[in-house]
Amino acid sequence: MADTMGHSATATRNTSVAIGFCLLAVAPQIFEFIWSIGTIFGWGAGRGPATVLISHATALLAGAPAAIFGSVGGDAKKASSDVLLALIYSYPLFVVAILTFFMTIRSGQDYIGGTMLMALALFALWASSDLQGMRGFSFGAGTAPRMFGGLLVALGAGIALTGLLAEGPALSHYSWRGPLFVMASIVFFALAIRPLGVVVSAFASFLIAAMGTHETRWIETTIVGACLTLGCAVLFPYVLGLPMPMFPRFLVQ
Amino acid sequence: MELFANLAHGFAVALTPINLLMCLIGALVGTLVGVLPGIGTIATVAMLLPITFGLPPVGALIMLAGIYYGAQYGGSTTSILVNIPGEATSVVTAIDGHQMAKQGRAGPALAIAAIGSFFAGCVATILIAVLGAPLTKLALAFGPAEYFSLMVLGLIFAVVLAKGSVLKAIAMIVFGLLLSMVGSDIETGASRMAFNIPELADGLGFATVAMGVFGFAEIIRNLDAGAEMNRDLVQQKITGLMPTRKDLADSTPAILRGTVLGSILGILPGGGAVIASFAAYTLEKKIAKNPSRFGRGAIEGVAAPESANNAAAQTSFIPLLTLGIPPNAVMALMVGAMTIHGIVPGPQVMQKQPDLVWGMIASMWIGNLMLIIINLPLVGIWVRLLRVPYRLMFPSIVIFCAIGIYSVNNAPVDVILAGVFGLVGYWLIKHDFEPAPLLLGMVLGPLMEENLRRALLISRGDWSVFLTRPLSAVLLAIAAFLLVLTVLPALRAKRDEVFTESEN
Repeated sequence: MADTMGHSATATRNTSVAIGFCLLAVAPQIFEFIWSIGTIFGWGAGRGPATVLISHATALLAGAPAAIFGSVGGDAKKASSDVLLALIYSYPLFVVAILTFFMTIRSGQDYIGGTMLMALALFALWASSDLQGMRGFSFGAGTAPRMFGGLLVALGAGIALTGLLAEGPALSHYSWRGPLFVMASIVFFALAIRPLGVVVSAFASFLIAAMGTHETRWIETTIVGACLTLGCAVLFPYVLGLPMPMFPRFLVQ
Repeated sequence: MELFANLAHGFAVALTPINLLMCLIGALVGTLVGVLPGIGTIATVAMLLPITFGLPPVGALIMLAGIYYGAQYGGSTTSILVNIPGEATSVVTAIDGHQMAKQGRAGPALAIAAIGSFFAGCVATILIAVLGAPLTKLALAFGPAEYFSLMVLGLIFAVVLAKGSVLKAIAMIVFGLLLSMVGSDIETGASRMAFNIPELADGLGFATVAMGVFGFAEIIRNLDAGAEMNRDLVQQKITGLMPTRKDLADSTPAILRGTVLGSILGILPGGGAVIASFAAYTLEKKIAKNPSRFGRGAIEGVAAPESANNAAAQTSFIPLLTLGIPPNAVMALMVGAMTIHGIVPGPQVMQKQPDLVWGMIASMWIGNLMLIIINLPLVGIWVRLLRVPYRLMFPSIVIFCAIGIYSVNNAPVDVILAGVFGLVGYWLIKHDFEPAPLLLGMVLGPLMEENLRRALLISRGDWSVFLTRPLSAVLLAIAAFLLVLTVLPALRAKRDEVFTESEN
């Protein structure tokens, strides 16, 4: 049945998968950039957005190739962590992305899953690259993470390979509504519990989570939410004696 | 007759009012969780971990244990009556159990399920008591090399018994091992993969990951399908619980076989209640004189898997209590509960904490007795609970989980981390990766690394130590043998057959 779907469909699919992988390859850099915007407003300590952008760009475009050729030439200069990120994480994924163009993906589920697992493992390899390795015959802090990271890269590659060689299910459909609102509810709760207390944050989170499906009926949801909030407010702090604020801080004071 | 003295001591502990109450609460919550689809045992145990803070350790563990085996009972009730398995362990029970209910024999089906479970629970309790002491002695002969090999064997078992691709299951274990390494290194104190986030310095909380991957991910997945799950509630009047003489005669051998099979699969690392019920059903179908009866209301199809899942749920405590190695994800959470209360699981627990171990063993028998009482007469109440629509249930679970995680460390970051792992779990489900091996890898990770390091340090960096020490070599050989067997095409086909049984 897959053959009758036509070849052009696979081709366009491949392009979007490859573009997705390219994005994945620079995802940590993008994440740090977005995160660094916060420093403008004085949130968190870290490099400013301009520094982040410049250092990653130079690392990706110039630093890492130089490091490759440098190491060939026997230059033992220590590479910076940005260059290492480009070297260990981004470049292998770019290679996979380029290869994706020329492949027929037989099972999108396996191919993409395997590659993303590989990306996770590469990222872990980078994250543990600053740790000490073997000292004589005793393990350093970084030995085991690197060992398992390497193993996971191989396994991820293996899974991706089965996605190329054997027929299997295509990438299944992701929906956005459920994950979005459930996540929003969780994040809201995490941010609100300290300043606003159990009562407000639990009730509001309940309503946010309820938006995760279009079947919600608001009157009954509000009533159940209120009852649940009341129950939690009695159960956790009083019956179980767990310390947590009940009401918003500005109301109590 | 040390055994009887120990058991008597255990009953003395378990029969104190507070522990009886804990046992009852555990059994009730377990039944509730078992009845309600969309919330699993793992998520519940993770959710209730913080609640046990204020309790004495014995009571806390008695309650958590009760949830695990209680869920096996509860799951069968809804499987039989409304064809909705509340737990993965009772999926196969629904095949024949619901057919029996349709033929108006819901009463006998429920009764046989309960009797089978109770019998299996009794046998498993005795088994734990009998096997506990000798296995502990064996464990004391274990060095780091043997421990490492044993854990490798356990993880391989998890791979063999996992559903789907072997490669994916191994990848999930390694992913779990990697996750377990986040945080401070035990020996050098170096911060590993923590990105200077103070909350990560202590490592990823096990309960946090479990709640994300099993709690939140499950909710998000269920929302995909639409909140209104297919629940055609046909509540029959249950008339006559008593099975006929023929029912009893038919199901007795099935209960015995299910109990034996379940007990074995429960002890094996990586096994557990789900696989036990599938295997027991398949076995019954294989050896039946007339296999076509299965799927049309054969009572053996109810008796065997229900006995097996209950036996397995309880015998899986054996490796935990004697070797300190959790054989499945729920037991891994029990390790978490024990560490919260300052108990290091392992062979020394039996000697140092006799109250805890024997009290828990005795409580299992008491709990099983309570479950019969909870389940049979109160069956109507549990079924009525199914009328609570999922659109109201899922936000409640989200909030309950969020408060639960927050109260473990009073850390808002933990809640966000659990959410992130919820998305990871959703991604895993979408790519057909199984989360259970991941959790097992994550729990065994620190233990494995520590023993690997120690073994190599003692052998002065010589890797052959794992093969030159006889016990370790045997364990590794079994692991290798199993892995080869799994990849062989003949067995693969059989393994897939066992799992497809659940699909239809």
